[in-house]
Amino acid sequence: MTKIYIIGAGMTGFGPQPEIEVHELARRATWDAIESAEVGPEEIEVCYAGHAYQGPCFGQKTLLKIGITGIPIVNVENACASGASAVLGVINTIRAGEADIGLAIGAEKLTTPGGGFLPTVADDLDSSMGRVMPAAFAMIARRHMHRYGTTLEQMAKIAVKNRRNATRNPRCHLKKEVSVEEVLRAPVIADPLTRLACCPNSDGAAAVILASEKVAHRYTNRPVEIAASILVSGLRTPHGIVDDRSEMSIRAANKAYERAGLSPSDVDVCELHDPFTIAELIHYEDLGFCEPGEGGRFIDEGRSEIGGDVAVSPSGGLLAKGHPLGATGVAQIAELFWQLRGEAGDYQVPDARVGLAHTVGGGVTKLESGACAVHILKV
Amino acid sequence: MSTLTTAATKPIRTDLFVASAADGKPRLLGSRCRETGRIYFPAEVMNPDTHRVGTMEPVEILGSGHLISFTRVTRGLPGFPSPYALALIELDAGPSLVAQLEDWQDVDLAIDMPVDLVIGTIKLDKDGMTLVGPKFRPRRT
Repeated sequence: MTKIYIIGAGMTGFGPQPEIEVHELARRATWDAIESAEVGPEEIEVCYAGHAYQGPCFGQKTLLKIGITGIPIVNVENACASGASAVLGVINTIRAGEADIGLAIGAEKLTTPGGGFLPTVADDLDSSMGRVMPAAFAMIARRHMHRYGTTLEQMAKIAVKNRRNATRNPRCHLKKEVSVEEVLRAPVIADPLTRLACCPNSDGAAAVILASEKVAHRYTNRPVEIAASILVSGLRTPHGIVDDRSEMSIRAANKAYERAGLSPSDVDVCELHDPFTIAELIHYEDLGFCEPGEGGRFIDEGRSEIGGDVAVSPSGGLLAKGHPLGATGVAQIAELFWQLRGEAGDYQVPDARVGLAHTVGGGVTKLESGACAVHILKV
Repeated sequence: MSTLTTAATKPIRTDLFVASAADGKPRLLGSRCRETGRIYFPAEVMNPDTHRVGTMEPVEILGSGHLISFTRVTRGLPGFPSPYALALIELDAGPSLVAQLEDWQDVDLAIDMPVDLVIGTIKLDKDGMTLVGPKFRPRRT
């Protein structure tokens, strides 16, 4: 199978940007990616654009004003995994021999008047009953606490770590450190989750340029290889998303490790889907960084800190860097690109050689979730 | 429909429940596969496990079950009570569903607590209409 490389990445700052229209956000990230890859816009042969709520022909509208027209452009909606799914679409197009250079974009604008929860799906039964996402993860948290004795303090430490990491990332949405006490005493959203245990709704965009093995080295002598790109959907399961583990994350990660010929202990840096503190704690276990039930101890022992066994979300993650849905999956991969090239600045993970990006998206009644993507990158 | 449905109230969906079955108690409306015996809620046309069509029959499901997990939502969506308790309930008949709890405020909620189906207010729609549907009341022991 031909190897695929990332040769460039771009990203806007994350956070409220009410004055900038979403296609313009996407355009800025795209242009940064094109400049960083040193490719000509006319060399891009395919584009996949991920977003959840930004309307038809998003990619076309974004690229029109930078003069990229006529190429195949596919718009991808896979809820919070839209961006990761867009990257996968470009990878598969290059792998099929249909293109040598491709562009993946992810973008979202969520700071609408009123803010608060994501729009609910009118025909989804759980949503109509009041199952907002914080409530779903609150129920997950209670299951994990019940089965393994996980504590509120352990969950709070996830937010503390990611907020601290984010203070070193100039693109992050939430720039202030918080303490365990502050997380626990913040207003309750859905108990046991407080406001500081939940990610913010952000505006932002990210883009990456991918290239085939044949051409990648013409553009850079430091390409980052995509060692695995796996997408799965959730299983129909009686309890839906409410479980003390994420079966789809386990399944996607195992497949990705097998494809890459790597194991969890090889991962130096991980950008992980952490819309809520409990999600990161459970995904330590799902991704194989520790045994089931050991997620609480893993954070207690500092093993997911920069400098620990595996630096998890050095960017600040969704919890602190922010979560513009469709942008998130592409942004995670862009972060890993910088980490593996040693270009992550103040939040650089020392000697990072292998990175893993994990994205989950979509609340659907009776399914664990809509989609889960795991990408493994290496240098 | 029962007396719960007045001019100002309507069911959140018409295919989910009967407010008063022959014995006067509410039931959930599901389907049962004649081949596997498995019960589904909400009702399915095709059996999603066997992929077969034409094996499902309608069934009224008794609303006793227990809590798999729960949360009290302090910051809900417009139209919802504030706060409200939301739970994942596993029915004794097999299927599970997410629903709000009723009369939960003075109860020390716990995983595995038995609950029973009631029909109550889920939310107000944007016209001020009361939408009613399945909710669960912690069982007094």
